[in-house]
Amino acid sequence: MTRWPGLRRVFRLGRAADVEREVEEELQLHLDLAAADLVARGLAPSDARREAERRFGDVASARRRLVAIGRDRTRMERRADWWGALRQDLGYAARGLRLRPGFALAVVLTLGLGIGANATMFGIVDRLLLRPPAYLAHPERVNRVWFIRNFDGKPFPNVNTSYRRYLDVRKMTASFDVVAVFLDPSLAVGSGAAAQEEHVLGVSASYWRLFDMRPELGRFFTEDEDREPTGTTVAVLGYDYWRTRYGARRDVLGSALRVGERDYTVIGVAPPGFMGTAMGAAALILPITATVAETGTPPQRLRTYSWQWPQVFVRRREGVSVAAATADLTLMYERSYAQQVAENPHSLPLALARPRAVAAPVLRDRGPGGSDESKVAVWLVGVAAIVLIIACANVGNLLLARAFGRRREIAVRLALGISRTRLLVQLLTESVLLAALGGAAGLLVAQWGGGILRTALLPDVDWASVISDPRVLAFGAVVALAAGLLAGLAPALHAGRSDVAPALRAGVREGTYYRSRLRAALLVAQGALSVVLLVGAGLFVKSFNKVRAVRLGFDANRLLWVSPVMRGVELPPGDSVALRDRLAARALTVPGVTRSARGITVPFYTQWNFNIVVPGLDTAYLNHLGTMQLQAVSAGYFETMGTRVLRGRPLLEADRAGAAPVVVVSQELARALWKTADPIGRCLKIGADTAPCRTVVGVTEGIKMQDFRDSEDPGLSYYLPLAQWRPGFGGVFVRTRGEAGALADPVRRALQQEMPGAAYVTVRPLADIVGENMQQWDLGATMFTVFGVLALVVAAVGLYSVTAYGVAQRTHELGVRVALGAERRDLVRLVLGEGLRLSAAALGLGLAAALVAGRYVAPLLFQTSPRDPLVLGAVAALLFLTSVAASALPALRASRVDPNRALRDE
Amino acid sequence: MAADLELLQGTLDLMVLKALTWGPMHGYAVARWVRETTDDDLRIEEGALYTSLHRMERRGWVAAEWGLSDNNRRAKFYQLTAAGRRELRAQSTAFSRYATALFKVLQTA
Repeated sequence: MTRWPGLRRVFRLGRAADVEREVEEELQLHLDLAAADLVARGLAPSDARREAERRFGDVASARRRLVAIGRDRTRMERRADWWGALRQDLGYAARGLRLRPGFALAVVLTLGLGIGANATMFGIVDRLLLRPPAYLAHPERVNRVWFIRNFDGKPFPNVNTSYRRYLDVRKMTASFDVVAVFLDPSLAVGSGAAAQEEHVLGVSASYWRLFDMRPELGRFFTEDEDREPTGTTVAVLGYDYWRTRYGARRDVLGSALRVGERDYTVIGVAPPGFMGTAMGAAALILPITATVAETGTPPQRLRTYSWQWPQVFVRRREGVSVAAATADLTLMYERSYAQQVAENPHSLPLALARPRAVAAPVLRDRGPGGSDESKVAVWLVGVAAIVLIIACANVGNLLLARAFGRRREIAVRLALGISRTRLLVQLLTESVLLAALGGAAGLLVAQWGGGILRTALLPDVDWASVISDPRVLAFGAVVALAAGLLAGLAPALHAGRSDVAPALRAGVREGTYYRSRLRAALLVAQGALSVVLLVGAGLFVKSFNKVRAVRLGFDANRLLWVSPVMRGVELPPGDSVALRDRLAARALTVPGVTRSARGITVPFYTQWNFNIVVPGLDTAYLNHLGTMQLQAVSAGYFETMGTRVLRGRPLLEADRAGAAPVVVVSQELARALWKTADPIGRCLKIGADTAPCRTVVGVTEGIKMQDFRDSEDPGLSYYLPLAQWRPGFGGVFVRTRGEAGALADPVRRALQQEMPGAAYVTVRPLADIVGENMQQWDLGATMFTVFGVLALVVAAVGLYSVTAYGVAQRTHELGVRVALGAERRDLVRLVLGEGLRLSAAALGLGLAAALVAGRYVAPLLFQTSPRDPLVLGAVAALLFLTSVAASALPALRASRVDPNRALRDE
Repeated sequence: MAADLELLQGTLDLMVLKALTWGPMHGYAVARWVRETTDDDLRIEEGALYTSLHRMERRGWVAAEWGLSDNNRRAKFYQLTAAGRRELRAQSTAFSRYATALFKVLQTA
């Protein structure tokens, strides 16, 4: 096959027709020669022909056989040629890169960071917004139901609704063949020392019908096992839980497992990778009616509209459109809400609430109330794409610079007869090879760097490893290929156009300095995009700092929240008060703890909203004020939390049961209720008009209970003495001298000793709870900063390499300038000036783009204008300094040009 | 004829390769060489020779090139490749060993 490669190519049997013609020609020649030989031996020409054919055998079948073999051979040859050319190109490209390891490394790193950033962001967005849950049957017909109500004229979408509402959806709609309900609490699973909080799914039996799957083992539960009031105690194990806790033992069916307060029988194991509609794998899947019982919720609350926790999923009947389903759901919600108002007159009237329900995509973040994290993530996808474009522009620039250096080589090859197409393919092969290496580096970046990032920022999601996620791998490969082609495009086109003669003639000096407008444009684009990213980084960093500086009304960093979990240990009411008091007292014995107090709600974690009645104010006015937060506390609560008491007195030991009913209100609530009048001594009733008057004895500063923004959380709180409200409820706040996180474990160990039987305490630093709610800004600040700095570094490297290359090319010209009397200073100014001109253009373009983009990012910021002059100024200064630094070295080199050597180098 | 063919199937390639050691030739020349060398005793069906030639071309044992025959007609000339030479050496060694062994058996009878 390698013997006459040139000749083989000349006689390339390309088309099927050629193969047939050649076979025919060969056979005819054979028969003619044979017949001629026979005639020479004396046969008559007609007999000779017949004899020749007889000797040949079956001519027709031979012809068919030969054509088949010929075609097969052509195919193989063509493939071999293709591979041969590719191998040749790859070998050529690899040799070229080995000769310039620094160049190759710079390119691979640049692309690797760009591709890695994109693979990471794709992985995140894929999970949040793109990939349907595993095993979901007919995903195009499955919807998550959002319930939207107006409050104060603004719509509030909610996925969480009541079990009662789920029953209404089943009863009052006709568009669906599956209506399912879903709840994912954390419950104590196991008994004794093995007891641990686990992620549990509580679902209706109909939920299984949303999925197309068989249990790994055993069976799923049925409608009969999911009946009110408290269901049947059967459990399906999650696959991973079964593997890690039971060693994948198949005799697990029928065994007992303690969940919450009851023993459950294991009836099945879910298939691998099943997460339901949650973002993480659950340890167990239980009937929802049973699950609700384990959360400590009284079963009669399933029959109320006020217990809002479960989420509803539906599958539309075939042929039912999303719009029709939404209309059906809205009709249902209106009827259901009317019923709710009838049962609870305190509910917002139907006309004001304007209830409507939406059949939204299954993935929560694609619904009407998608999380801000996912909105930031979508922004970050754009950011990652920009980083990649910058990386491509930079690599394109490096390749272009390299192509200039190789002009002579290319010209020689063109002169020797290589076709321009072949040359283009070779150059593109080189950039695609680089991109492939970059892609591999990128996946490593995504695997290690991205892994840390993803778990740090979205810890509740079970992330598959990048390397084992085929969707991310495929995405990385496509991006790498596209990046390679994109980066290789400019140099390849340029090379394709280059003229042979001038390049050959120009000699050693590589011609005159060639100012490429294309390269300048690429540099400006890189700089401008970096500016956009840096502005984004600045805005998010500022927002994050602002959020952290918000006066919460309590010292989150120095507080622990201790919550007792009773697990079915029944205590008489008096004992459960005593237990909590003991916990509060015991906490004080731990070194580093300065104060402790009891409370029943926790900022950013649990809220208790109760209607209040104020003599002289009508209900509609009170409703319009916004959510009012109830807190019931023991004496010393305000000192423990660090909440300032502004007027009057705090709640004291003396405010015990039977004493005069009192209340403390926040300054904001006082102002809303009584305007400028003195609130002390006023009357406030909790629940209904029939409740006794509570006298306001103190006013505190407002605290943030659920949102950092004043507009979302006006700080309307009131405080009751625990002894007068729900004395056996809640947990303990513990104040520490230093950072609270370090004391979480010692406090837990000390308090655990007070817990009877299987009951235990959970201890969480309040800073963690609050921090989760800052994630949106944290995410934005971290990612924009990382990407922005990345982009700036890449752009700086680009500017440096292009300037340095320009100086090297102009050595001769600079030498002439020096010989003609130019000062060193002039040369430095010449080179620096060019870099700065490019940066100025980049800055102008970038700031303009950032101002336009700012309008869209504004809703994600916190008390920060997208045109913040400080941020814009800082970015401008940073870009200026960077471009000076990047051109300084080449400028110095230019100033040291020796005119003698430069001119001698002819 | 059919029995003869079966006997020959495995050795046809060997004969064609051997023929080509004399230099490049077209299909008819190979057929004629085989017929003359065997005194036409084997009565090989010439179509089978072409199948063998084309198959070996596909496997890279022979290479083909179009040229002019003695009487100035376009003809497809075949030539041994390095792989073909190796194959010929290997096959003829194996065949001689096989034939010697077979003779030994036949002579003892």
